Amino acid sequence: MSMRFTGSTCLITGGTSDMAMALAPKMILSGLFPVLTFRSESGQKKLASRLRDFEEKYAMVHLDLDHVHSIHQAFETLNHDLDYLVDFAQDNLEGLVAATDSQRVQSFFEASLSNRAILIKAAARAMLTKKKGRMVYVSSTAAGRQSRGQGFYAAVKNGAESLYHAVGIELAGKGITTVCLRPGYVDAGRAKSFIEKHGQRVLDQIPMGRVLSCEEIADVILFLLTDSAVGINATSIIMDGGMSALK
Amino acid sequence: MEEPELVDIFNEIKQILGELLDVDEAEITPETYLVRDLCAESIDFLELAVSLNSRFAVEINDDDLFLRNLRRYIRNMPDTQDRISALTGRFPFLSAKRMDEILSDLDAGPILKVKDLIAYIEWQTRVKKAA
Repeated sequence: MSMRFTGSTCLITGGTSDMAMALAPKMILSGLFPVLTFRSESGQKKLASRLRDFEEKYAMVHLDLDHVHSIHQAFETLNHDLDYLVDFAQDNLEGLVAATDSQRVQSFFEASLSNRAILIKAAARAMLTKKKGRMVYVSSTAAGRQSRGQGFYAAVKNGAESLYHAVGIELAGKGITTVCLRPGYVDAGRAKSFIEKHGQRVLDQIPMGRVLSCEEIADVILFLLTDSAVGINATSIIMDGGMSALK
Repeated sequence: MEEPELVDIFNEIKQILGELLDVDEAEITPETYLVRDLCAESIDFLELAVSLNSRFAVEINDDDLFLRNLRRYIRNMPDTQDRISALTGRFPFLSAKRMDEILSDLDAGPILKVKDLIAYIEWQTRVKKAA
């Protein structure tokens, strides 16, 4: 099967995450031009170091969901020219719903939902001028099944999924489609340290008996960006090795 | 409409609306209502805003451009207030004459006309130049 892409420029938010950095080289090798976001100077350096073999085949732009003006600035930098959006950006707020500081909750929701809505709006409008576009939101199995202390994280994942579904419903007729991917345990980021801590207990929950790699997630995202996958629209796909299906 | 700038803006808007709503450009005048005459829907307004932003390179506030909050603003105005000057203060791209016209037209349906879009773009272009 050929991996055909009608667009080129892809904004990757949360660009310094392990999954984003696994995805970027695959995109470049497929002829796409990834623009990865960073939030700090150290993140920018980390990106430049990881992608040093691909100079001039990608770009970096500052974008921090905590600061709404950075979203507008990033789109100005992009000249509002965008074919794809892959959204990995996610902070975490862990804590019991009845015990977590209200101010922290408010800031968390503002960045992760209100400002994400602004990001999605900017992307959708940029894509509307081209009458085509594809958005992939990287959600989590926590959107469907959460552990104790994951209420805020799960709420944001569900809320963000709803926003992306809405765009897929409202704008598919104009050539813009969306899909959300819910990875389960991945050998990266927060999950990695959780797995290191809980080991076999985690693996016992996964029928495949192993966690997924960033490479596997990146391959699926790349497929979701292809022209062949646009029919997968306004929906969420679970990729968790069967974990959610296990009683 | 005699000013060449306004004629240019009108021609551009006419072209955008013609393409967007699949209507004959010759049928569009500054007095054409977007909803009542052209049957524009919310998705059309979104595309229109994006096209105007792209074509004229000016900032577009969808709510202002499409006079979305006008009725609510009028409803919430105190009886004692000079309605026309309050309205032109809130919607500075519309003239007192146009506001007067709008107030007498509210009951007939959605009031947005092509000439309101022209006024908004002309005003935003001036604001941009001044900045």
